Amino acid sequence: MQMHWEVLARYYPLLVRGALDTLQFTTISVALGTLLGLFVALLRLSRNKPLRMIVSCYVEFFRGTPLLTQIMLIHFGLPRLLGYHPNTFFDAILALTLNSGAYIAEIFRGGIQSIERGQMEASRSLGMSYAQAMRYVILPQAVRRIIPPMVNEFIAMLKDSSLLAIISVNELMFRSMQISGRTFRPFEVYLFAALLYLVMTMTFSYVGSRVERRMAIDDSR
Amino acid sequence: MIHVRGLEKHFGDLKVLQGIDLHIRQKEVVVIIGPSGSGKSTFLRCLNMLEEPTAGEITIDGQILTDRATNINHVREKVGMVFQLFNLFPHLTALQNITLAPRTVKRLREKEATDLGQQLLAKVGLADKAHSYPSQLSGGQQQRVAIARALAMQPRVMLFDEPTSALDPEMIGEVLAVMKDLAYEGMTMVVVTHEMGFAREVGDRLLMMDEGRIMEEGSPSEMFANPKHPRTQAFLSRIL
Ligand SMILES: Nc1ncnc2c1ncn2[C@@H]1O[C@H](COP(=O)(O)OP(=O)(O)OP(=O)(O)O)[C@@H](O)[C@H]1O
Ligand SMILES: [Mg+2]
Repeated sequence: MQMHWEVLARYYPLLVRGALDTLQFTTISVALGTLLGLFVALLRLSRNKPLRMIVSCYVEFFRGTPLLTQIMLIHFGLPRLLGYHPNTFFDAILALTLNSGAYIAEIFRGGIQSIERGQMEASRSLGMSYAQAMRYVILPQAVRRIIPPMVNEFIAMLKDSSLLAIISVNELMFRSMQISGRTFRPFEVYLFAALLYLVMTMTFSYVGSRVERRMAIDDSR
Repeated sequence: MIHVRGLEKHFGDLKVLQGIDLHIRQKEVVVIIGPSGSGKSTFLRCLNMLEEPTAGEITIDGQILTDRATNINHVREKVGMVFQLFNLFPHLTALQNITLAPRTVKRLREKEATDLGQQLLAKVGLADKAHSYPSQLSGGQQQRVAIARALAMQPRVMLFDEPTSALDPEMIGEVLAVMKDLAYEGMTMVVVTHEMGFAREVGDRLLMMDEGRIMEEGSPSEMFANPKHPRTQAFLSRIL
């Protein structure tokens, strides 16, 4: 089969644009998911049993069902149920945020629980409230431990955001499908898309490992 | 100063404290000994509500700890605690370990808190270690920082739970020296320890705990000389 790389010369700006959009959707969603995840993790560790049950259901649901199903449910199902007009951008962010929030909640919970009990007890014995102890003692230590899984989560989300193509979100995968359909050059187009994904994921795992090494040096002080 | 009446603590079916009555006067140094599992740590932890008593009443400085209306954080400010494993905050320097609670709880300004911290570090002989992290300090130094950290809240009582039992023998002395200074300054102290030299030197009263009760009490010298209870005799003969 003959290759026609020249299609890329023509279409690469659109694909790079799509990669940037992929990055944007991922960054916004993981940022919101981090806030949501922290909140959910704290509720999951709280003493309030009903609240704990509710957030556990949320976490189990979004970790136990496919992201694709969640995207469809949110884009097509939710507007029907609540009677509003679907908005692709909003639905895309909502789906990724809810999904990453569930995973990040578990990352935070694991990080917080990995801090020795004595740290909380020492803080409380000094008169600090639970919230103060969390903020100044537990979370700063937990954050160091959750950086590696957080980087993994970001990378996973970057790849999984390709599923947004199904609801015509104009990110890298959707653009690739369109260009491939228009040019009949699927191999060239998807290979280039794959390379763009790879560049992004490898960049972040490199940055992640650098940060991790920095932390390791800090810890051995 | 501290009144304990009918204190009980159960963990499920396990009755760890089975009715403790005790009155500790201001400036008194009370040393608690007893076999492993007799409830010494649990008793200390009840005194600052790290464990919630199952029954009984604890009053410190006129405040009833066991009353639900009491703000427990306020009480804890007045009751310092030193742990067997130090429990320093590893992400903070020695100085920051000491200033964190004064800054967050008492809202001291940075300058005041730092002055206080430096002063306390000097008191425990670690003025030059202000900017070291716990992992850069020896066990004895870490425990001295932990004592300074507790003192920073200007407590009225200090609780010590086996403060030297995790230390290498050559470091025990430096920690006991700091504790003796505190005792001589008139700090009210409750100390769980098997350092009988310390008990003899600064202890006003020795309590022998067994199976969640105070089995025998008296002045240290008197108890060392002629312990009444056979279990106290057996226990003392092992540690003296
Ligand atoms: N949180 C807990 N849950 C269940 N049991 C507990 C708990 N804390 C302590 N215990 C039990 O209570 C008993 C007394 O424990 P405690 O730590 O007070 O003893 P101790 O006198 O300090 O012993 P040691 O000399 O070993 O420190 C032990 O049998 C222990 O297993
Ligand atoms: Mg103990």
